[in-house]
Amino acid sequence: KKELYRLPERSKPLYIAGQRSFSNASARKEQSGEPSSSEDKVLLTDSCVKRLSEIMEKGEYLRIQVEGGGCSGFQYKFSVDRNKNEEDRVFEQGGVGIIVDQESLEFVKGSTVDFTQELIRSTFQVLKNPQADHGCSCGSSFSVKL
Amino acid sequence: VNKRKILATRAALTLTPAAVSKIRLLLQDKPEYIGLKVGVRTRGCNGLTYTLEYTTEREKSDEEVLQDGVRVFIEKKAQLTLLGTEMDFVESKLSSEFIFNNPNIKGTCGCGESFNI
Repeated sequence: KKELYRLPERSKPLYIAGQRSFSNASARKEQSGEPSSSEDKVLLTDSCVKRLSEIMEKGEYLRIQVEGGGCSGFQYKFSVDRNKNEEDRVFEQGGVGIIVDQESLEFVKGSTVDFTQELIRSTFQVLKNPQADHGCSCGSSFSVKL
Repeated sequence: VNKRKILATRAALTLTPAAVSKIRLLLQDKPEYIGLKVGVRTRGCNGLTYTLEYTTEREKSDEEVLQDGVRVFIEKKAQLTLLGTEMDFVESKLSSEFIFNNPNIKGTCGCGESFNI
């Protein structure tokens, strides 16, 4: 008899606890969802703006794409583009602009694009990507946080 | 009795014309540096990565490569891994970099920065 009583007693608080944590999680999602829509941006560093203003002609943009590949699962691809499509987002800063398509933006939003100059190489890089878990040493490839 | 043998000596590192002119350009306004030094570091997803820096003096253990008037020194640690490598300079609108075409390597990383031998 005692055991029979215990069972529902034990499962009851567990059920409530589960419900609570579920509602918490959904509340958190809603909270983080609102500010992130305004943070769906890609920032450019000063060196990136400077380099783009040097190399880009009028009407040319730096396009950033995310593709599957590289040693960590995803990789960034940079190209020069003149055409903006409907699903593209343009981020302008200091008179220059970059284009990110909507799908790639999901992977790079909140990050910073930099132009790094070293003796061995100078290239554009995506830095501080909040979506990226750990990347390759070169920064061209990354894996996504789950 | 023994006939003198002439042994072929090859430079440990060869430079492409693009690399030569870039190195010359880099060193042009920096008289305090005598050349560039190539090394390898344990880093990256595939084990090793190349390093490149200015150098003011030749260290004892460095291998010196003199080609078309530019000097490149190879760190002792890198001499075996770099043997027979061609150093090239590739420039495009979006990036520019020195690349090493190394016949000794077994595999590289996707970006080409990291490699194993």
